[in-house]
Amino acid sequence: MLELLSYGFIQRALLASLLIGLVCAVIGVFAVLRGMTFIGAGTAHSAFAGVTFAFWIGFPPFLMALVFGLSTVWITSYVQEKGKMKPDVPIGVFYTFTMALAIFFIGLMKTSRPEVFGYLFGSILSVTQSELIVIFALSVVILFIVGLFFKEFHFISFDQDMAEASGIPAKKLSFLLLNLISLAVVIALKSVGAMLVFALLVIPAAAAQQWATNMRSMMITSAIIGVASSWMGVLLSYWFDVPSGATIVMFSAGVFLFSVLFSGRQRMGQTS
Amino acid sequence: MTPHPIIRFSNATFSYKGHTALEGVTLDVHEGEFVGVIGPNGSGKTTLLKGLLGLIYPSAGSLQIFDCACEALRCEHRARIGYLPQKERTDPNYPITIWEVAMMGRYGAIGLLKRPKRQDREIVLESLEAVGMVSLKDHPFGQLSGGQQQRVLIARALSQRPDILLLDEPTTGIDATTQKRLSDLICRLHQQYKLTIVFVTHDINMISPIAETLIVLNNRLHAKGRPSEILTKEILSPVYGEEVIVAKRDQKPYIIVHDTHDHA
Ligand SMILES: Nc1ncnc2c1ncn2[C@@H]1O[C@H](COP(=O)(O)OP(=O)(O)OP(=O)(O)O)[C@@H](O)[C@H]1O
Ligand SMILES: [Mg+2]
Repeated sequence: MLELLSYGFIQRALLASLLIGLVCAVIGVFAVLRGMTFIGAGTAHSAFAGVTFAFWIGFPPFLMALVFGLSTVWITSYVQEKGKMKPDVPIGVFYTFTMALAIFFIGLMKTSRPEVFGYLFGSILSVTQSELIVIFALSVVILFIVGLFFKEFHFISFDQDMAEASGIPAKKLSFLLLNLISLAVVIALKSVGAMLVFALLVIPAAAAQQWATNMRSMMITSAIIGVASSWMGVLLSYWFDVPSGATIVMFSAGVFLFSVLFSGRQRMGQTS
Repeated sequence: MTPHPIIRFSNATFSYKGHTALEGVTLDVHEGEFVGVIGPNGSGKTTLLKGLLGLIYPSAGSLQIFDCACEALRCEHRARIGYLPQKERTDPNYPITIWEVAMMGRYGAIGLLKRPKRQDREIVLESLEAVGMVSLKDHPFGQLSGGQQQRVLIARALSQRPDILLLDEPTTGIDATTQKRLSDLICRLHQQYKLTIVFVTHDINMISPIAETLIVLNNRLHAKGRPSEILTKEILSPVYGEEVIVAKRDQKPYIIVHDTHDHA
């Protein structure tokens, strides 16, 4: 085990998955409670389209993923506001459109680029030093902003109209939260990939909700599940040479199932 | 000397997507006044409150609150308006305690980037005391009964230390005893804190003894006056149909409204 930790790539993978697991689990709590998870799925696919675009024109993939991911939020919010529709409609349109775009860009590439698929399915063991720095910087930014606006995010997740009515700039903060969700998704592309990033956002928070009776306990539980799943993914994928992203998602799904089955009993025990 | 109006609707019209919900309302509410709002489903009662909260703006005419146009209502103004929304079911698994819900009423006053201080905790405690929910303060909100949730939401509104309290059908779907307790509580708060209250309800007989002013909406301001002036067949039957019966009970008017749709 200790010998394992001396490998640079394992150190990077563990550190990256710690940050990604933590950030997604924390942001996921608000996304789940606020009912904003769909934007995560939407961002994931358009960020992947950004990655393929970057490979096609020879740009840094992370940067393009970021640009595409954030523009998803801006465009869908704008369309939603303009058309006065529920957010799942513009996101649904965007989701499929950007996936089509990704396929289109892959088709345009002159040579086959297998690295692209690392962003689709995740490849945490191949995180480079510079990617780690970007992941670290963005994670710090996201967690810092969450810390600053924690009570407001809590309020708008509980009741957006009420928050607006009682003097919280709820619309602006809600938009900020959407941007943070999208950033979290972008940094998680590397670990679980665009196909599965939705799981990292939703599952730890949903499992935690089964146990929690207040916001703090949900946050902490979600963070523990997120980080533990991510680390399990790294270790299992190293030991057994299985895909890391899929392992992370299967492990956290297992925790979710366990929570659904066993927390109910605990809750009934508490109230009786 | 007449007190200054704290709320002033001047020929205000509110619409959703071109569909007019409330037309040409002219209405003053004075500081410390207790206004009851009645009217059938879809008559614009909730819309009136949303206008007061600055959640929707008049498409014609104007609405002033605290001498400020509602379009320009700033966060600090909004923090002075407490609001109890029309009941919607909260997710019973939403992880939040009663204390946390009541504390949310302070967030507007605390402001961004700051944490609750001792003074905020004292106010929240006092609000929970006022509604009799202190003993359950660490209990999950989602697991309370509907009436208990309403009481906690009133405590949240009180935590704002509001000047105006807007209540949208706070007693609907609640048993008679709890209903009575809630309306007594609201009366007491009105007297104790000199709160201006706008109380929307379908229960004409509950509101008429406690409100100072009653207004009847029917997608416009149909009538306004003291409850005794409003509770007449002439005023109510154009809105509620010919089947309205104004009876007397203990020397006071008592309204019986038949649902005309049942016979249609
Ligand atoms: N968000 C909305 N979008 C479109 N139309 C709306 C919206 N909210 C209300 N309306 C319409 O505006 C009118 C007034 O609605 P409002 O909610 O103010 O009625 P209400 O008097 O509160 O009714 P209730 O007694 O059922 O609560 C109705 O015709 C309703 O269909
Ligand atoms: Mg209503």
